[in-house]
Amino acid sequence: MTKPTLDDQAFKTELADLIPHLRAFARSLCGNPTAADDLAQEAMLKAWKARESYQAGTNLKAWAFTILRNLFYSEKRRSWRRQQLDPEVAEATLVANDNSSSALDLLALRNGLGSLPEDQREALILVGAGGLSYEETAEICGCAVGTIKSRVSRARKALLEVLESNEAGFSGDDKLRASEAFDDIMRQADELSRDIPAGA
Amino acid sequence: MSYKATNMSKESKPDKDIERSRKVRQKRIGDQLRRIYDDVTSEPVPDEFLNLLEQADKSSKK
Repeated sequence: MTKPTLDDQAFKTELADLIPHLRAFARSLCGNPTAADDLAQEAMLKAWKARESYQAGTNLKAWAFTILRNLFYSEKRRSWRRQQLDPEVAEATLVANDNSSSALDLLALRNGLGSLPEDQREALILVGAGGLSYEETAEICGCAVGTIKSRVSRARKALLEVLESNEAGFSGDDKLRASEAFDDIMRQADELSRDIPAGA
Repeated sequence: MSYKATNMSKESKPDKDIERSRKVRQKRIGDQLRRIYDDVTSEPVPDEFLNLLEQADKSSKK
């Protein structure tokens, strides 16, 4: 009895389609875009090598995210662990760049995300941004669905509190230019983190 | 300590407004979270990714 598997070509196509999501999830874990892409690439190659253990018809995204997440947490000395977005760096950037309210909003949000415990942050990102169900997220994080629900709810509450206490960074309802803001934030974070010696 | 007590006694009429503005903010946070994520997924994938995948595929065919 063999489990149904995808043939290599089909697997490769589906995995390639997931690359943008692997990058986005990695970016949310790492902060630094270069380190995040390293992580996403390794996860992609690991998924490719493990393709025979993937069961066709199950959720490839959840499966690949599990690989990426395990990689992130297991290899603590790798660059992607060293270069997590430091809340203090984000704060410094926030102060230095107060000319765009939408950039500030997003930066305040990123800063808030950075202040969350890791388990809450990843649950919130997977459910709130990545479009995964509570069940899939529980599978990825290796815990009960109820645990994920409670992490997401605590993360939302904590974020709201952080943003409320940082009222200056939270402006009205003007339109966001999210893409520009995010690029700008990531570029600055990248530049700042380059000055941090390896292993710091 | 007395700060907390004062705060509690003030919580009466504006409760609904506070509740509503929290909901608006929660939604806004949700939208922004999705934007942060979607901004990355909408970036073009660097060639490196597909090259690596092709390489891995080729070497597994040997």
